[in-house]
Amino acid sequence: MDTAFRKIDIDQYDEDVLHESELYDADPRDPAQVLEDAKQRQAAVRTALARSDVVGALSTILENAPYGPNVDQAKEITLHTLLTILNTTKSTEIPAVIKSLSQDSQDTLMKYLYKGMAMPGWGDISGSVLLGWHEKLTEIAGTGCIVRTMTDRRLV
Amino acid sequence: MSNVLRPYLAAVRSTLTAALTLENFSSQVVERHNKPEVEAGGSKEVLLNPLIISRNENERVLIEPSVNSIRLSIRIKQADEIERILCHKFTRFMMQRAESFIVLRRKPVQGYDISFLITNTHSETMLKHKIVDFIIQFMEEVDREISEMKLSLNARARTVAESYLTAFNA
Repeated sequence: MDTAFRKIDIDQYDEDVLHESELYDADPRDPAQVLEDAKQRQAAVRTALARSDVVGALSTILENAPYGPNVDQAKEITLHTLLTILNTTKSTEIPAVIKSLSQDSQDTLMKYLYKGMAMPGWGDISGSVLLGWHEKLTEIAGTGCIVRTMTDRRLV
Repeated sequence: MSNVLRPYLAAVRSTLTAALTLENFSSQVVERHNKPEVEAGGSKEVLLNPLIISRNENERVLIEPSVNSIRLSIRIKQADEIERILCHKFTRFMMQRAESFIVLRRKPVQGYDISFLITNTHSETMLKHKIVDFIIQFMEEVDREISEMKLSLNARARTVAESYLTAFNA
Protein backbone atom coordinates (compact mmCIF):
# COMPACT_ATOMS: atom_id res chain seq x y z
CA MET A 1 0.00 0.00 0.00
CA ASP A 2 1.23 3.46 -0.80
CA THR A 3 1.89 5.39 2.38
CA ALA A 4 3.62 8.43 0.89
CA PHE A 5 0.51 10.52 1.49
CA ARG A 6 1.18 10.35 5.23
CA LYS A 7 4.27 12.49 4.76
CA ILE A 8 2.41 15.34 3.09
CA ASP A 9 2.36 18.45 5.22
CA ILE A 10 -1.34 19.20 5.04
CA ASP A 11 -1.00 22.32 7.15
CA GLN A 12 0.52 24.18 4.22
CA TYR A 13 -2.83 23.97 2.42
CA ASP A 14 -4.64 25.58 5.33
CA GLU A 15 -6.16 28.87 4.28
CA ASP A 16 -4.93 30.86 7.30
CA VAL A 17 -1.40 29.44 7.15
CA LEU A 18 1.34 31.93 7.98
CA HIS A 19 3.83 32.70 5.23
CA GLU A 20 7.39 33.89 5.67
CA SER A 21 6.54 37.12 3.87
CA GLU A 22 3.81 38.01 6.38
CA LEU A 23 6.22 38.17 9.28
CA TYR A 24 7.66 41.54 8.26
CA ASP A 25 7.00 44.40 5.87
CA ALA A 26 8.75 43.80 2.59
CA ASP A 27 11.37 46.20 1.32
CA PRO A 28 9.54 48.74 -0.87
CA ARG A 29 12.58 49.13 -3.11
CA ASP A 30 13.15 47.17 -6.29
CA PRO A 31 15.91 44.47 -6.04
CA ALA A 32 17.85 46.03 -8.92
CA GLN A 33 17.72 49.41 -7.24
CA VAL A 34 18.88 47.90 -3.94
CA LEU A 35 21.87 46.40 -5.70
CA GLU A 36 22.62 49.76 -7.32
CA ASP A 37 22.39 51.43 -3.90
CA ALA A 38 24.74 48.87 -2.38
CA LYS A 39 27.32 49.52 -5.08
CA GLN A 40 27.06 53.26 -4.63
CA ARG A 41 27.49 52.92 -0.90
CA GLN A 42 30.53 50.71 -1.40
CA ALA A 43 32.13 53.52 -3.42
CA ALA A 44 31.07 56.11 -0.83
CA VAL A 45 32.61 54.02 1.94
CA ARG A 46 35.88 53.77 0.05
CA THR A 47 36.17 57.54 -0.23
CA ALA A 48 35.21 57.94 3.43
CA LEU A 49 37.82 55.41 4.48
CA ALA A 50 40.43 57.17 2.37
CA ARG A 51 39.72 60.26 4.48
CA SER A 52 39.87 57.91 7.52
CA ASP A 53 36.31 58.94 8.41
CA VAL A 54 35.24 55.66 10.05
CA VAL A 55 32.06 57.04 11.58
CA GLY A 56 30.87 58.42 8.26
CA ALA A 57 31.68 55.16 6.47
CA LEU A 58 29.87 53.05 9.06
CA SER A 59 26.74 55.18 9.15
CA THR A 60 26.62 55.23 5.35
CA ILE A 61 26.75 51.46 5.08
CA LEU A 62 24.37 50.77 7.97
CA GLU A 63 21.65 53.06 6.69
CA ASN A 64 18.89 51.34 4.67
CA ALA A 65 20.72 48.03 4.71
CA PRO A 66 19.27 45.51 2.23
CA TYR A 67 16.98 42.89 3.71
CA GLY A 68 14.48 40.27 2.60
CA PRO A 69 14.65 37.84 -0.30
CA ASN A 70 16.01 38.40 -3.84
CA VAL A 71 18.77 40.81 -2.82
CA ASP A 72 21.53 38.31 -2.01
CA GLN A 73 24.14 40.10 -4.08
CA ALA A 74 23.47 43.45 -2.45
CA LYS A 75 23.67 41.80 0.97
CA GLU A 76 27.00 40.27 0.10
CA ILE A 77 28.46 43.55 -1.11
CA THR A 78 27.26 45.33 2.02
CA LEU A 79 28.70 42.64 4.28
CA HIS A 80 32.09 42.73 2.60
CA THR A 81 32.22 46.51 2.67
CA LEU A 82 31.31 46.50 6.34
CA LEU A 83 33.94 43.91 7.16
CA THR A 84 36.64 46.03 5.51
CA ILE A 85 35.58 48.97 7.72
CA LEU A 86 35.67 46.80 10.83
CA ASN A 87 39.05 45.40 9.88
CA THR A 88 40.66 48.79 9.33
CA THR A 89 39.39 50.40 12.54
CA LYS A 90 41.85 50.55 15.43
CA SER A 91 40.61 48.78 18.52
CA THR A 92 41.06 51.89 20.67
CA GLU A 93 38.73 53.88 18.40
CA ILE A 94 35.88 51.37 18.48
CA PRO A 95 33.94 52.66 21.55
CA ALA A 96 33.88 56.24 20.27
CA VAL A 97 32.75 55.09 16.83
CA ILE A 98 29.94 52.97 18.25
CA LYS A 99 28.74 55.74 20.54
CA SER A 100 28.32 58.10 17.63
CA LEU A 101 25.99 55.70 15.78
CA SER A 102 22.21 55.89 16.08
CA GLN A 103 20.35 53.07 17.79
CA ASP A 104 19.06 51.66 14.51
CA SER A 105 22.56 51.61 13.09
CA GLN A 106 23.83 49.86 16.21
CA ASP A 107 21.19 47.16 15.77
CA THR A 108 22.09 46.72 12.13
CA LEU A 109 25.76 46.54 13.05
CA MET A 110 24.96 43.78 15.53
CA LYS A 111 23.10 41.85 12.83
CA TYR A 112 26.09 42.10 10.54
CA LEU A 113 28.47 41.00 13.30
CA TYR A 114 26.48 37.81 13.77
CA LYS A 115 26.19 37.33 10.04
CA GLY A 116 29.94 37.75 9.68
CA MET A 117 30.57 35.16 12.37
CA ALA A 118 28.14 32.73 10.73
CA MET A 119 29.88 32.95 7.36
CA PRO A 120 31.17 29.50 6.43
CA GLY A 121 34.30 30.49 4.53
CA TRP A 122 35.31 33.38 6.79
CA GLY A 123 36.98 35.16 3.94
CA ASP A 124 39.75 37.50 5.01
CA ILE A 125 38.47 38.46 8.45
CA SER A 126 39.66 37.04 11.72
CA GLY A 127 37.19 36.07 14.40
CA SER A 128 38.86 38.14 17.07
CA VAL A 129 38.03 41.36 15.22
CA LEU A 130 34.32 40.56 15.16
CA LEU A 131 34.38 39.35 18.76
CA GLY A 132 36.12 42.56 19.82
CA TRP A 133 33.47 44.66 18.10
CA HIS A 134 30.72 42.52 19.55
CA GLU A 135 32.04 43.00 23.07
CA LYS A 136 32.30 46.78 22.74
CA LEU A 137 28.89 47.04 21.09
CA THR A 138 27.25 44.98 23.84
CA GLU A 139 28.91 47.18 26.46
CA ILE A 140 27.49 50.32 24.90
CA ALA A 141 24.15 49.24 23.39
CA GLY A 142 23.32 46.61 26.02
CA THR A 143 21.64 43.22 25.83
CA GLY A 144 18.60 44.82 24.18
CA CYS A 145 20.61 45.19 21.02
CA ILE A 146 21.12 41.42 20.85
CA VAL A 147 17.43 40.81 21.58
CA ARG A 148 16.45 43.11 18.71
CA THR A 149 18.81 41.18 16.44
CA MET A 150 17.11 37.94 17.42
CA THR A 151 13.57 39.20 17.03
CA ASP A 152 13.90 41.32 13.90
CA ARG A 153 12.71 39.29 10.94
CA ARG A 154 14.30 41.65 8.44
CA LEU A 155 17.38 39.52 8.01
CA VAL A 156 20.32 41.39 6.56
CA MET B 1 45.18 31.12 27.08
CA SER B 2 42.17 32.38 29.04
CA ASN B 3 42.87 35.86 27.71
CA VAL B 4 42.46 34.65 24.15
CA LEU B 5 39.30 32.79 25.02
CA ARG B 6 37.72 35.64 26.97
CA PRO B 7 36.06 37.69 24.15
CA TYR B 8 34.56 34.49 22.74
CA LEU B 9 33.08 33.48 26.07
CA ALA B 10 31.92 37.03 26.72
CA ALA B 11 30.04 37.03 23.42
CA VAL B 12 28.43 33.68 24.23
CA ARG B 13 27.52 34.91 27.69
CA SER B 14 25.81 38.09 26.50
CA THR B 15 23.98 36.31 23.68
CA LEU B 16 22.81 33.56 25.99
CA THR B 17 21.63 36.08 28.56
CA ALA B 18 19.69 37.88 25.86
CA ALA B 19 18.18 34.65 24.57
CA LEU B 20 17.13 33.37 27.99
CA THR B 21 13.92 35.36 28.13
CA LEU B 22 11.51 32.45 28.10
CA GLU B 23 7.85 32.16 29.00
CA ASN B 24 5.35 29.37 29.31
CA PHE B 25 3.82 28.86 25.89
CA SER B 26 1.45 26.08 24.86
CA SER B 27 1.56 24.53 21.44
CA GLN B 28 -0.49 26.33 18.82
CA VAL B 29 -0.80 23.21 16.70
CA VAL B 30 -1.95 20.61 19.21
CA GLU B 31 -4.33 21.50 21.97
CA ARG B 32 -3.20 20.90 25.56
CA HIS B 33 0.32 20.17 24.47
CA ASN B 34 3.26 22.19 25.67
CA LYS B 35 6.51 21.43 23.95
CA PRO B 36 9.76 23.24 23.30
CA GLU B 37 8.99 25.21 20.16
CA VAL B 38 12.59 25.17 18.97
CA GLU B 39 12.43 21.37 18.79
CA ALA B 40 8.87 21.07 17.51
CA GLY B 41 9.29 23.77 14.88
CA GLY B 42 5.54 23.73 14.32
CA SER B 43 4.94 27.45 14.10
CA LYS B 44 7.31 29.90 12.45
CA GLU B 45 6.22 33.00 14.32
CA VAL B 46 7.56 31.80 17.67
CA LEU B 47 11.02 30.88 16.41
CA LEU B 48 13.58 33.68 16.52
CA ASN B 49 16.63 34.15 14.35
CA PRO B 50 19.38 31.63 15.15
CA LEU B 51 22.71 33.25 15.98
CA ILE B 52 26.19 31.83 15.50
CA ILE B 53 29.18 32.96 17.50
CA SER B 54 32.46 31.67 16.21
CA ARG B 55 36.05 32.04 17.21
CA ASN B 56 37.43 30.29 14.15
CA GLU B 57 36.21 27.69 11.72
CA ASN B 58 36.46 24.84 14.23
CA GLU B 59 35.07 26.51 17.30
CA ARG B 60 31.58 27.92 17.23
CA VAL B 61 28.36 28.11 19.16
CA LEU B 62 24.89 28.07 17.65
CA ILE B 63 22.07 29.60 19.68
CA GLU B 64 18.55 28.98 18.45
CA PRO B 65 16.05 30.96 20.51
CA SER B 66 12.30 30.56 20.56
CA VAL B 67 9.45 31.73 22.75
CA ASN B 68 9.65 28.98 25.36
CA SER B 69 12.98 27.27 24.83
CA ILE B 70 16.46 27.79 23.48
CA ARG B 71 18.86 25.32 22.00
CA LEU B 72 22.57 25.93 22.33
CA SER B 73 25.00 23.80 20.37
CA ILE B 74 28.75 23.84 20.79
CA ARG B 75 31.38 22.77 18.34
CA ILE B 76 34.48 21.89 20.34
CA LYS B 77 37.97 22.48 19.03
CA GLN B 78 39.41 19.32 17.49
CA ALA B 79 42.86 19.87 16.08
CA ASP B 80 43.83 16.30 15.27
CA GLU B 81 42.64 12.72 15.26
CA ILE B 82 43.36 12.11 18.96
CA GLU B 83 41.39 15.17 20.00
CA ARG B 84 38.52 14.11 17.78
CA ILE B 85 38.36 10.69 19.45
CA LEU B 86 38.71 12.15 22.95
CA CYS B 87 36.04 14.73 22.26
CA HIS B 88 33.69 12.10 20.92
CA LYS B 89 34.21 9.85 23.96
CA PHE B 90 33.84 12.75 26.36
CA THR B 91 30.63 14.14 24.90
CA ARG B 92 29.21 10.64 24.52
CA PHE B 93 29.91 9.94 28.19
CA MET B 94 28.05 13.07 29.19
CA MET B 95 25.15 12.66 26.82
CA GLN B 96 24.49 9.14 28.04
CA ARG B 97 23.96 10.69 31.47
CA ALA B 98 22.01 13.61 30.10
CA GLU B 99 19.29 13.59 32.73
CA SER B 100 21.81 14.27 35.49
CA PHE B 101 22.76 17.48 33.70
CA ILE B 102 19.09 18.47 33.24
CA VAL B 103 19.68 20.92 30.39
CA LEU B 104 21.79 18.60 28.27
CA ARG B 105 20.33 17.18 25.08
CA ARG B 106 20.83 13.50 24.30
CA LYS B 107 21.90 14.14 20.74
CA PRO B 108 23.87 17.02 19.30
CA VAL B 109 22.52 19.12 16.48
CA GLN B 110 24.07 18.20 13.15
CA GLY B 111 27.48 19.79 12.67
CA TYR B 112 28.03 20.32 16.40
CA ASP B 113 29.46 18.19 19.19
CA ILE B 114 27.13 18.80 22.08
CA SER B 115 23.77 20.51 22.50
CA PHE B 116 21.84 21.95 25.39
CA LEU B 117 18.11 22.52 25.51
CA ILE B 118 16.91 25.07 28.03
CA THR B 119 13.16 25.37 28.43
CA ASN B 120 11.03 27.81 30.38
CA THR B 121 10.70 25.23 33.19
CA HIS B 122 14.45 25.28 33.65
CA SER B 123 14.63 29.05 33.71
CA GLU B 124 11.78 29.13 36.23
CA THR B 125 13.13 26.50 38.60
CA MET B 126 16.79 27.51 38.35
CA LEU B 127 18.53 30.84 38.51
CA LYS B 128 19.06 32.26 35.05
CA HIS B 129 22.56 33.59 35.67
CA LYS B 130 23.57 30.25 37.14
CA ILE B 131 22.46 28.45 33.98
CA VAL B 132 24.55 30.88 31.94
CA ASP B 133 27.48 30.36 34.31
CA PHE B 134 27.15 26.61 33.95
CA ILE B 135 27.31 26.75 30.16
CA ILE B 136 30.26 29.13 30.19
CA GLN B 137 32.10 27.03 32.75
CA PHE B 138 31.45 23.94 30.66
CA MET B 139 32.93 25.63 27.61
CA GLU B 140 35.95 26.76 29.60
CA GLU B 141 36.62 23.35 31.00
CA VAL B 142 35.93 21.14 28.06
CA ASP B 143 38.94 22.48 26.14
CA ARG B 144 41.19 22.15 29.15
CA GLU B 145 39.86 18.67 29.92
CA ILE B 146 40.49 17.43 26.39
CA SER B 147 44.01 18.84 26.18
CA GLU B 148 44.81 17.34 29.59
CA MET B 149 43.51 13.96 28.47
CA LYS B 150 45.57 14.24 25.32
CA LEU B 151 48.73 14.93 27.35
CA SER B 152 48.19 12.04 29.72
CA LEU B 153 47.34 9.77 26.81
CA ASN B 154 50.61 10.66 25.11
CA ALA B 155 52.58 10.22 28.35
CA ARG B 156 51.00 6.84 28.89
CA ALA B 157 51.68 5.77 25.33
CA ARG B 158 55.32 6.76 25.74
CA THR B 159 55.72 4.79 28.98
CA VAL B 160 54.07 1.74 27.48
CA ALA B 161 56.24 1.88 24.39
CA GLU B 162 59.40 2.32 26.45
CA SER B 163 58.71 -0.61 28.76
CA TYR B 164 57.72 -2.74 25.79
CA LEU B 165 60.83 -1.95 23.86
CA THR B 166 63.19 -2.62 26.82
CA ALA B 167 62.48 -6.32 26.24
CA PHE B 168 64.35 -6.07 22.94
CA ASN B 169 67.14 -3.96 24.39
CA ALA B 170 68.66 -6.63 26.63
